[in-house]
Amino acid sequence: MSDKDFADPQALAAVLDRALAASKADETEALIAAGDSSLTRYTHNSAHESVNERNCQISVRAVVGKRQGVAGTNKLDNASIFDVVRRAYESAKLSTEDPVFPGLPGPAGEMAEVADAYDDTTATATPDMRAAAVNDVAKIMRTHNLYAAGYVSTQSDAFAIANTKGVKRFHRSTDSAINIKAIGSDSSGYSEGFSRRFDDLEPAVLAERAAKKAVAGKNPRALDPGKYTVILEAPAFREFIGYLSWIGFGAQAFEQGSSFMSGRLGEKVVGENVSIRDDFTHPLGSGIPFDFEGVPRTVVPLIDHGIAKDVVSDSYYAAKLKHENTGHALPAPHSDGPMPLNIVVDSGSTALEAMIRDTKHGVLVTRTWYIRLVDQKQTLITGMTRDGLFLIERGRVTKGLKNMRFNESIIGALGRCDLASALVRSESHVLPAVKIEDFHFSSGTEF
Amino acid sequence: MHFDAESQRVLDTAAGLGAEYADVRFAETRDEHIEVRNGIVNSLSDGESAGFSVRALVNGAWGFASSAQIDDAELDRVAALAVSIARASGRVKGQAITLVPSPAYTDSYKTPFETDPATIPLGDRVNYLLAVEKEVRAAKGVTVARAWMDIWRTKKFFANTDGSKIEQELLQCGSALHALAVGEGDVQDRCYPGTGGLYQTGGYEIIKKADLLANARRVGEESVALLTADQCPSGTMDIVLSGDQVSLQIHESIGHALELDRVLGWEANFSGTSFATLDKLGSFRYGSPLVSVVIDMTCPLALATHGYDDEGVKATPVDLIRDGILVGYMAGRDTANTAKVSLSGCVRAEYWGRLPMIRIGNVNLEPGVVPSENLLDDVKNGVYMESNRSWSIDDKRLNFQFGCQIGYEIKDGKKGKLLKNPTYAGMTPAFWRSCDAIGDAKSWVAWGTPNCGKGEPLQTARSCQGASPTRFRNITVGVGYER
Repeated sequence: MSDKDFADPQALAAVLDRALAASKADETEALIAAGDSSLTRYTHNSAHESVNERNCQISVRAVVGKRQGVAGTNKLDNASIFDVVRRAYESAKLSTEDPVFPGLPGPAGEMAEVADAYDDTTATATPDMRAAAVNDVAKIMRTHNLYAAGYVSTQSDAFAIANTKGVKRFHRSTDSAINIKAIGSDSSGYSEGFSRRFDDLEPAVLAERAAKKAVAGKNPRALDPGKYTVILEAPAFREFIGYLSWIGFGAQAFEQGSSFMSGRLGEKVVGENVSIRDDFTHPLGSGIPFDFEGVPRTVVPLIDHGIAKDVVSDSYYAAKLKHENTGHALPAPHSDGPMPLNIVVDSGSTALEAMIRDTKHGVLVTRTWYIRLVDQKQTLITGMTRDGLFLIERGRVTKGLKNMRFNESIIGALGRCDLASALVRSESHVLPAVKIEDFHFSSGTEF
Repeated sequence: MHFDAESQRVLDTAAGLGAEYADVRFAETRDEHIEVRNGIVNSLSDGESAGFSVRALVNGAWGFASSAQIDDAELDRVAALAVSIARASGRVKGQAITLVPSPAYTDSYKTPFETDPATIPLGDRVNYLLAVEKEVRAAKGVTVARAWMDIWRTKKFFANTDGSKIEQELLQCGSALHALAVGEGDVQDRCYPGTGGLYQTGGYEIIKKADLLANARRVGEESVALLTADQCPSGTMDIVLSGDQVSLQIHESIGHALELDRVLGWEANFSGTSFATLDKLGSFRYGSPLVSVVIDMTCPLALATHGYDDEGVKATPVDLIRDGILVGYMAGRDTANTAKVSLSGCVRAEYWGRLPMIRIGNVNLEPGVVPSENLLDDVKNGVYMESNRSWSIDDKRLNFQFGCQIGYEIKDGKKGKLLKNPTYAGMTPAFWRSCDAIGDAKSWVAWGTPNCGKGEPLQTARSCQGASPTRFRNITVGVGYER
């Protein structure tokens, strides 16, 4: 594929057509993921790693009876396409019959479009544009006698999928991000920005925010382990929600009984003020309108006012659970089953600033790190705070704190929380800050 | 795999545009994965990926670009893009990058193996996994049984403006089984071998020696038994860790801490930095005198073993910790000068499209002298823990908390009752200083870790941490489950 037709829908469709035409399988699906991505990474206020990658990968799923095989390649010449189709077919023949497998999905279903998913400026952003953003950050840092580490990224992606039952989908999008860690002699601060449009990132504004945290966190003191009222800013809360969605909101975990949602649909599982959905249409988000089987995505309420409502499915689990196909397949084969990729947590009514003002004694958490599951059924996780932990006293942020380890049940925490009023995007999720009572810090570290 | 002409074209283009140094790497990977779940083959995949990348140093700043398309126009475009990215980076440049010298090599390397996996018919491999998985499910009460294997082949051709031309063919294999048991309000799981399988360099013999079939029923039964086992107690006590758990402990609290790019702040915003700062080199007591750790990219069978790394440095063993004292780091050509340390050949990229960076290679804890069956002998009150379930450590690699899949009480030197949800926690130097016995060479295994994450864009690397079962005194146990 030449530079000119990179991510061109007709060129990608032609590749898919070649793959489907070459297949001897009963049913065949071909999926293309094409991307041109750039990332400039910086530390000590200077760019130290800056990269660009261009790739176009095709994955072919062959179905023979109720047997499936998958093969992939990024070589798009005729011989390689024939070969990848052959390998998928040979694998399918050697696989086992899966009586549940319903066959590939057909083209039924209206597909909502995602508005403004593609931005030409972002798709064609140059290394100099990213370097200029780094320079904006570095200038702010110098005024505070700090240095920064982080990245600025831009990318252009295209997904195309077709199958022999008539599915044909194409979507093109852009995305960009900036990540800023402001670093002082004994403290650090953090901010981040995500947008489909590079021009919306506001590096200087975000740099100032990160720098202020690093300055406010100087001379951190140690906190005793124990239970505290904490406020998790959105990047910290995102890690909690991301983990919850991975272990709990997919049909496979639900069906095998390992999800906290298993057997509890219709029951109250968290506080009434908590509503969580998967919503690819949210204007702050980065969703695409179909899944990796070409099925239109739907907006799925997962928890509604504290009640467990639903999990996400793909064609396989829709058949297995006699459930609507919500359009959340991952690329085949995937051992974790369907997953929500665009979580939205409804906002509350209290501004973050008011939350802090209303806190007599608590802790403000900017960011978390290295969260891991301790106990799946209890949704018990452990992890560390990083890049801005602060003491709140009598409604004011008063001191920087050394980082702490927490051990906390996610659904337990969501049963005693208050959600902030402003929604922000953090990675692929959209969510507010959250205030949690009796949050368990189990130990501290030296910085 | 030879790309002499293409390499020369790229290097000439980069040099002609002003690069003081450039390298180019052509690579092709082939990954086969078979996974069986509850009697069904739920993954039978065979993926390949090929492309090339160019790294250019211009006025002391790096640029990197890659592409899946290999033709003259694209070679020229990517080489020029790498140079222009380097020039853009130079506009926000700090201290200029300088490379430590490395000899120019014209050489080739191929992973030694006994049995080419391609000689084992795919149907036989599928049937083997089906038999293993069936045996796991034969344990009454197992909810989900799985078995899988991976075969990874990599062909690479590297050239640089120093004159190196290096061809390599790497073969890595691994397999595992997994049992998940779901009870009333509880989920327990067990994996074998080790935490997520036995992954090493070599051929199908790696999969054969894992002997999944002989262990399937036992591991399934253990997952079910854990549902009704006593909770691991909380408190301060001695622990003995299985070799595969020690492997992960090395990975997280020694391996990552001694990556020199982290020490220098290159990973500060993501993976973090390190408590093991340059001022500690040569004098810091990292562990007890029993603790000696070497990065050895030549180690037979170890998952990261190769001939040369992705910047053309020859694999060479380098001490990291000797008799408990910090004596080295993992370094690349662009960082080694800052610490005056030797290169081990540990700079690697996940695949052709990604920037090579310092990665944990084979970071091995040297075996001790105690037969592993005697490690429990003088433990009055403690817990034996096996195979990782969760792992978390702070971004300077100090405060950690790990959970294991299975534990056993140790009373007066004897292995006692089964315990579920064993966890332990500590601070890295204090923990390694509390090490007072390491299992002997007979119990030492080159445990591979196929999923180490680092860098932005995120890259997954395959590492190894060779280890024996090991004993630690007075450790905080039962964190997260305190009553």
